[in-house]
Amino acid sequence: MSDTKLTYAKINDDLLAMLEKPHPSYFLLVLGFLVALMLGVLSVALQVDVGIGYAGMSHPIGWGFYITNFVFWIGIGHAGTLISAVFYLTRAPWRNAIYRSAEAMTVFAVMTAGMFPILHTGRPWLGYFLIPYPNQRMLWINFKSPLAWDVFAVTTYMTVSILFFVMGLIPDMAILRDEAIRRGQKLKALIYTPMALAWRGTNHQWLHYMRGYLIFAALATPLVFSVHSIVSWDFAMSSIPGWHTTIFAPYFVAGAIFSGLAMVMTVLIPVRVVFGLEEYITDHVVQSVCRVILFTSMIVGYAYATEFFIAFYSGNPFEKAIFYFRPFGAMTDWTLLGDHDFGFPQIAFWLMVFCNVIAPLPLWRFKIRTNLVAVWIITILINIGMWFERFNIVGSSLQRDFLPHAWGSYWPTIVEVGLTIGGFGFFFTLFALFVKALPPMAIMELKEAIHPPMKGGK
Amino acid sequence: MSKKFSGVWGTFEYLDELTSAIKAVRQKGIEPTVLSPCPRHEIDHALGDRQSRLPFISLCAGALGCLTGYSFTAWTAADWVLPVGGKPIIAIPPFTIIGFELTILFTALFTLMGVVLLATVDTLKNPLPSSVKKYVRFQRDRFGIVIPCESAKLNDFQVLLNNHGAEEVHVENE
Repeated sequence: MSDTKLTYAKINDDLLAMLEKPHPSYFLLVLGFLVALMLGVLSVALQVDVGIGYAGMSHPIGWGFYITNFVFWIGIGHAGTLISAVFYLTRAPWRNAIYRSAEAMTVFAVMTAGMFPILHTGRPWLGYFLIPYPNQRMLWINFKSPLAWDVFAVTTYMTVSILFFVMGLIPDMAILRDEAIRRGQKLKALIYTPMALAWRGTNHQWLHYMRGYLIFAALATPLVFSVHSIVSWDFAMSSIPGWHTTIFAPYFVAGAIFSGLAMVMTVLIPVRVVFGLEEYITDHVVQSVCRVILFTSMIVGYAYATEFFIAFYSGNPFEKAIFYFRPFGAMTDWTLLGDHDFGFPQIAFWLMVFCNVIAPLPLWRFKIRTNLVAVWIITILINIGMWFERFNIVGSSLQRDFLPHAWGSYWPTIVEVGLTIGGFGFFFTLFALFVKALPPMAIMELKEAIHPPMKGGK
Repeated sequence: MSKKFSGVWGTFEYLDELTSAIKAVRQKGIEPTVLSPCPRHEIDHALGDRQSRLPFISLCAGALGCLTGYSFTAWTAADWVLPVGGKPIIAIPPFTIIGFELTILFTALFTLMGVVLLATVDTLKNPLPSSVKKYVRFQRDRFGIVIPCESAKLNDFQVLLNNHGAEEVHVENE
């Protein structure tokens, strides 16, 4: 943040103005998200009442939209930790304005993600079976199973993200407390005082706080790379063609960062426009995020190509077949249009390639990177593409395995569609409430980034 | 407050005036408490770059987490032996994942607790007068310095702060 017009007091006033009473259109927006969320709740109710069979999953496709949504949302969660931890350690100053929102997105995305595997068990009230404890016969969960690793990775990630988020909020809560007292708002002062944990901003408090923040960043950095690697091993540890590849961990992590940053932009561009935050979420910030998106897009595109090359180079007929089926379906004919089996997995594949590899290409142009509308459209396309990438990995590999007579097809039912919409509703409802309830930008860190007031100039 | 506070506190608008005041106070053998709206390295340098003991707590927590991860998985595997394909019962590579995750989890939990604990201990050791807590601009745009001292030296420090460009100076002799 090089803007010298900003002062400590102005930052306080600008960001506190965001927490004022919202415009009526805000309630309309939240209502829209709540409707989506209710659709999800209704679908869960249907699924729990009728049973998991009400969803479209059947042999051989045991993992459909549920696990697709799980992997997608875990991926969305990666951007927050990347921005708050990795870019903190690498001293990227443009992170200050967006890290709080990105971190909140991490927490909400991981919460959304966590629901899907539990619902997918079919009897979500028995979800506690996943926790390591001995059953009646003193048997423990199997720690050699990737699914048990997943439980540990996701719960650790959720805990650490929440702690990191809460820790960043402490000094800002003190700001809100003192401003409420200064403005004579008694109720707000009463709410914020316990949340500020007696924070006064003394040198003793800052000393331990900043050291703790650094340690948290150093912990979250390997954690963020481990989580999606472990999620990818849910697939890669199996022997299913299309899943059994060593490239999965870096491929998943790059995809997660890619989709997460796209989601950050999808959400923050409207926030910038609505609240008039050009001085904080500057064009430079948008551009920097776009560059990282472009970089990860290239990694993802490269991973797609590598998968195909390795399938060809391996000489394994099953591997070759699955990578033939993904784009072209189970074909009797060598032309695309002559295919009678051009189904949902093929649509998913081509959408994935278009949205993740081709759609971000205009970002190479400076004019596009600084055009908010263009960036917004591209990031929405990336979100769609990444969702279909997750489906492509989960669904298409299960569809065709070793035995042709065990092949099957998959089409989602109303339950899965409702749950997917509900997942988005849940995430956006929480984010909309967050923007108005807590400071969506870290006030303290924005102050840290500007030039301090000096009597003798700089 | 049972303990009476005796000392001087002042507010500053400018960081360079604050740091020169800190240095002058420290030369007189008193460690002041400094309040600021955000952390600044200039203040740390003026206060003599004290280091936090927090990393020690984090290191111990990490070691404990790592040990828990490996020993818990090894113990459960040995508790009911399930031989599969001649593979080792206590297998290091899969258990490393649990060990790694628990290292991070334990370190994170104990680090946050450590921050709260160490900051609370330091705050109790260096109490602030209630008038400082009522001054609501330290979280906004003002720096502050609190100098605890005996009643005989109150005047000296009042003059010192005024000479260094303090905006407001308050003498507390409760």
